[in-house]
Parts: sequence; structure tokens; C-alpha cells
Amino acid sequence: MSINKDTIVAIFLLLFCGIMINSSFDIEDPGYQGMKASFWPSIVLCLLSVMSLVMLIKSMAATTDNNINSENSNPQNVFLKFKNASICFLMFILFLGFLDYLGMLIGGVLFVFGLLTFLGGFEIKKIINHSIISVITIGIMWSIFTFGLKVILPEGEILRIW
Amino acid sequence: MIDVILQAFASIVLDPVTLGLMFVGTLAGILAGAIPGFTIAMGVILTLPFTFGMTAVQGLATMLGVFVGGFSGGLMSCMLTGIPGTPSSVATTFDGFPLVRSGRPGLALGLGLWSSFFGGMISAVILVALAPQLAFLGLEFGPWDYFSLIIFALTITVSLSGGNITKGLIAGLLGLFAATVGEDEINGVARFTFGFDEFKQGFAFLPVLIGLFAFSQLLTDVEDDKRAKSPLMSQSGSVVKVEHRQAILIILKRWVNLFRSSFIGIFTGILPAAGGSISNILAYDQAKKASPNRSNFGKGEYDGVIAPEAANNATAGGALIMMMALGIPGDIVTAVMLGALMIHNIIPGPTFIQDEPLLAYGVFIAFFVAHFFMVGLQAFSLRIFLLVTKIPMYVLASVILAYCAIGVFALHNVVFDIWVMFFFGVIGYFMKKLGFPLAPMILGVVLGKLAELNLARATGISDDMLLFISRPWSLFFLLMAVISVIFPFYQEAKKDTLFAKLYVPISMIILSLPLFLMGSPVRMIVATILVLTGAYFLYKRTSSLKTT
Repeated sequence: MSINKDTIVAIFLLLFCGIMINSSFDIEDPGYQGMKASFWPSIVLCLLSVMSLVMLIKSMAATTDNNINSENSNPQNVFLKFKNASICFLMFILFLGFLDYLGMLIGGVLFVFGLLTFLGGFEIKKIINHSIISVITIGIMWSIFTFGLKVILPEGEILRIW
Repeated sequence: MIDVILQAFASIVLDPVTLGLMFVGTLAGILAGAIPGFTIAMGVILTLPFTFGMTAVQGLATMLGVFVGGFSGGLMSCMLTGIPGTPSSVATTFDGFPLVRSGRPGLALGLGLWSSFFGGMISAVILVALAPQLAFLGLEFGPWDYFSLIIFALTITVSLSGGNITKGLIAGLLGLFAATVGEDEINGVARFTFGFDEFKQGFAFLPVLIGLFAFSQLLTDVEDDKRAKSPLMSQSGSVVKVEHRQAILIILKRWVNLFRSSFIGIFTGILPAAGGSISNILAYDQAKKASPNRSNFGKGEYDGVIAPEAANNATAGGALIMMMALGIPGDIVTAVMLGALMIHNIIPGPTFIQDEPLLAYGVFIAFFVAHFFMVGLQAFSLRIFLLVTKIPMYVLASVILAYCAIGVFALHNVVFDIWVMFFFGVIGYFMKKLGFPLAPMILGVVLGKLAELNLARATGISDDMLLFISRPWSLFFLLMAVISVIFPFYQEAKKDTLFAKLYVPISMIILSLPLFLMGSPVRMIVATILVLTGAYFLYKRTSSLKTT
């Protein structure tokens, strides 16, 4: 018997199912005839629990694969492996967090420029290229949606004050 | 009938205004289909106000241009960036994207383009020849039959699991669960909202789809610094061209797959509310099951591109059959077209084709002609789109992430949808890292609401659960579901085992039962053929067992 990544995922899934099954008891029953609102989610969650249990048993029965003590679990390797993905996550959260203030146009340009620069490098030539790319690409898409398709994209407080 | 068809043909092809409008419509559709988050339905809805000043034929022809163009436009983004532009292109991503990555973008796009064309052509021919007869098939379907059809479609999860059935099923169930969040459509009761008002609207399909597929894929692409700075395609210098000739030859060699997928598309299009999002996945699964190169699926197999693209364009024809022959819109797009007809005081119904033959066949012909525009315009726009493959991955990823955010916002004009996309993007990324296939989860999200809705309708009409097996169509799909679930074990089984020898003939005999129950002469003949063929195989295989 061994503990590996799948074991941890299966335990997490079982916990998730437990919380959601518990939450399904709170689903209101308006008393209408026919299928209750909690019926279908309950079936899905029961099946998900069974499958998670199967995964747990299978993972514990497995011998060596995905062992959590492998080289991949070294903190430095993990950081390097997920560095770029973490930058994307962070930039996207910042973009969404400041969307109300910056709007889609300024926020979009800053997001693309920031991401390009963090992923591509900080050399002067690249920074100039990145700023041109971000302004042109977001400018075109923003114009298509705003003027062509008449979609009102978030304006942002900065442009509104202007 | 022939003279009416010829007159309708002349009214479309010999009218330069109609042709011009169709040209613009098809181009707009291709663009709409290629932009992630911008659906075909949105494209057709935006076209509607422009059709007020046109004649009924011109208005519908323009909308058909957008419709057909939109279906094929989705293939550009899904193949080159891995983002399905529309739900009907989901399955194209499975093999189209790997084929592009393997260094054959010109062939991948050519296969997609010409499969769409041939699928649409087959559908158009069926549309002209059999519209009234086929339309009544859709009327035979009740909620029990729909629920069983969706259960059958969900069994595809097993074959999309990529070798790990447990993880595939878990992913599928997570998708089904995600579809239950928000207000329940039958009772209007909030579920799993945890007090957040934003959750009440549930997770819209497109943000989930783009998050799971695009966001997670883009994050994977930029994970490694070296890979992030190299272009999608490493062929430098040479201009990538769409390989039309080779693509056509490959498709024609796989004509069985083409016809099977087109018929699946037409059949699903006839069923109200089924549509391209189901047909492309069903066709992909059947192509995989029938192919001798099953292990290549998901790695850039040609059949994996042909099947979904032929099916989704054929679905459009199926949906038109229902709209024109019975006045029942199969999806949002045909509902908008129905609205366009009503603006001109024309109300489709069972007698519509007899009452307005010129208009009805005009629409069928416009659907046919739109495919030629689609091929011409796609061949040109694909060449421009191929330049995308020369851009470094990190540039592509950064820009596409921003485009996804804009596109997803435009869907309902709410920022919450962008958060949903981000949330599912993160989930998708980690699921991929942990070895979970994402395709079953998408399937769960797409089909979850439909399954629940039809189950609720069925149980609302009658408490009798036996209706699920006593109604012929329902029984047919449930049997197909059982056969589909067992199929992977048949693939694994050694050829000389009793199970492997009996699987096909017994499946054929079992499937004939609901067809016999349907009662109509054509289906009785098909059922008899199935029984006789099954019995013949059974006899041959059992006798070979005795001799060994």
C-alpha cells in the first residue's frame, strides 16, 4: 500500500462530495409535483463518490507510480515548473481585479503587455515590441466588439472620469 | 417538383443581390465562428435586423450564409489554437489540434474545410429530397427518448477517457455536477450557490468550455520557457498552404466515415434541441469505434477530424428540415430564422412546403450554395489564419487569453463569466497535470442540463419508469448505451475469445428488437436485415469455435 498523488486527489474528491452532498440537503423543495430539484445532483454526487472511492482503492493498491516522494516534489522544481503558469494566474487575477477601474481597453492592453514582458523577457527591444503588440491586438479586438458588434465592454472608471 | 427546384435554384443563383448578401453573410459567419466566445447564434441574431428590408428568401439566404460560415469558422480557431470557437467544434479539437502540432496544419485545415463541405452537401441533398418524410421522425421523440439519447451520448465518456476509465468517469461526473450549479430549470430553486447571487445563473457553457480547453492549454504551452518562445509550428521560411487536393482524396477514401458522420449529423439536427454540440461528439465516437487505427485517435487521426466536421455541418441541414417542414425550431439559430420568416408573414408548418414551395426550396438551395461560398472564403481566410502558426507561443498565449476574456464577457455582458472561465481554466490545468482527460468533463457540462431537463419532463408526465424501456426509441438508445459501454472491453479482448466473437452479432440481434417494435415497414426491413446478418455471424463464429 502506498500514498501517491492519486490518493490525495481521491481523498480531496471524497471530501468535496461530502460537502456537496451535505449542501444538497439544503436545496429547497417547493412541493411541486414531479422530480425534486435535489434528485439529479444527488445521483451525480453519489456516483462521483463511488468513483472517487474506486480511485482511492486503486491508488492505494498501486505500487510505485506517482509517488509523492519523487524528484518532482522538490519545492525548487515545483516552483520552476509552475513559474510561468503562476505568472499567468496572477496577471489574470490582477486584470480581473482592476477591470472596474481600468476597463477592458486599458486593462487588456496592460494585461497583454505585462504577460508578454514577464514571459518573453525584459530587453528594451522586446519591451517596445510587446507594447506595440498589446496596443494593436487589444485595440483591434476592442474596436470590433465596441463599434462593429455594439457590445458595451467595461469602460472602467479612468476612462469614465476622462 | 423538379421544376420548382429549378425555379428556386434560379431565384438564388441568378440574383446577384442574393448572392452578394450570402457572400457577406458567409464571411461574417466565418469570422464569428473563429472568435472564441462569439457563437453562431449571436452572429445570426445580429444579422436579423439587417434582414427586415430584404425579401424572405434574401433574408434567410443571408442568415444561412452566417450559419454555414459559422460552423466552419470554428474549425480555424479550434485547430490552430486548440480553442473550439463554437460548442459544435469541440470534437474537432481532439484530433485537429494534434494534427496541426504534428506539423500538418495545411492538411488539418484542408480536412476540416472539405469535410464540412461534403457533410453540408450530403445534408443539403437529403434536405431537398426527404425533408417532409424525415421531419416526422423528430415528432416521435418524447422526453424518455431524449433522456436515453443523452445517456447514450454520455457513455462516450468511456471511449474519451484515453485509457483511464476511472479518471474519465470522474471528469464526466464533475462536468455533470458543474451543470447542476445555479437555479434548477424546472423548479427555479437555487442549488449549490452558497449564498452568492452570481452563482444563481449557473456556469454558462462557453466560459467553462474556453476555460477548460483554451486557458488550460495555453498555460501548458507556456509552462516551459524554451517552448514558450518558439512558434506553434517550427517550419520556418516556407509558407504553409492548405492541402486541398490531398485533403479531398483522404476524405473520399474514408467515404464510409463521411457518410456515417453526415447521417449522424442530419439525425441529430432533426431532433429538437439536440444540435451540433451533440452530433460532433457522437460522430467522433462512432468514427473511433469503427476505425482500425483507434489508438491514433487523439493524436491527429484523419478520421477524427472528418467525422465531427462533416457531422456539425450536416446538423444544420437536419435543423432546417424540422424548421421548414414542421415549423419547430431545433435550436436558437433556427428559432431566429423562424422569427425572420414570421416578420414576412410566413409561418412554417406541416403544409409549408406545399403552400410555399418556391420559398422552401429556395432556402434549401441557399443552404447548398452557402457551402460553395464557405469553401471559397475559407480557402482564402485559412491562408491568412495559418500565419498564426508562425507567432511565438508566449505572444499567442498572452493575446488569446485577453481575447478569450473579451469574447466571454460579450456572451452575457457580465464579468462573472470571465471569472468562471478563469476558475475552470485553473481546474482544467491541474486536472491535466493529474492525468484527468478534459473531454469527458466538457461532455458532462454540455449534456448535464439536457439530461436533467428531460428526466424531469419524463417523470413529470408519468411515474411509470418502464416507459424508458417500453418506448422503442428509448429502448434503442439504452441498448446502444450498453453496447457502447461494453465496447472498450471488446477492443481489449483477444480475438479468439467467446466474448469477442459474440459481441458484434449479439449486438446486432439485440438492436433489431426496438426497430421491430417501431412497426413501420422500412424499420421492420432494417431490423430483419440486422437479425439475419447477426444470425449469420453468430452461426459462423460459433461453428468456428466448435472446430477449434
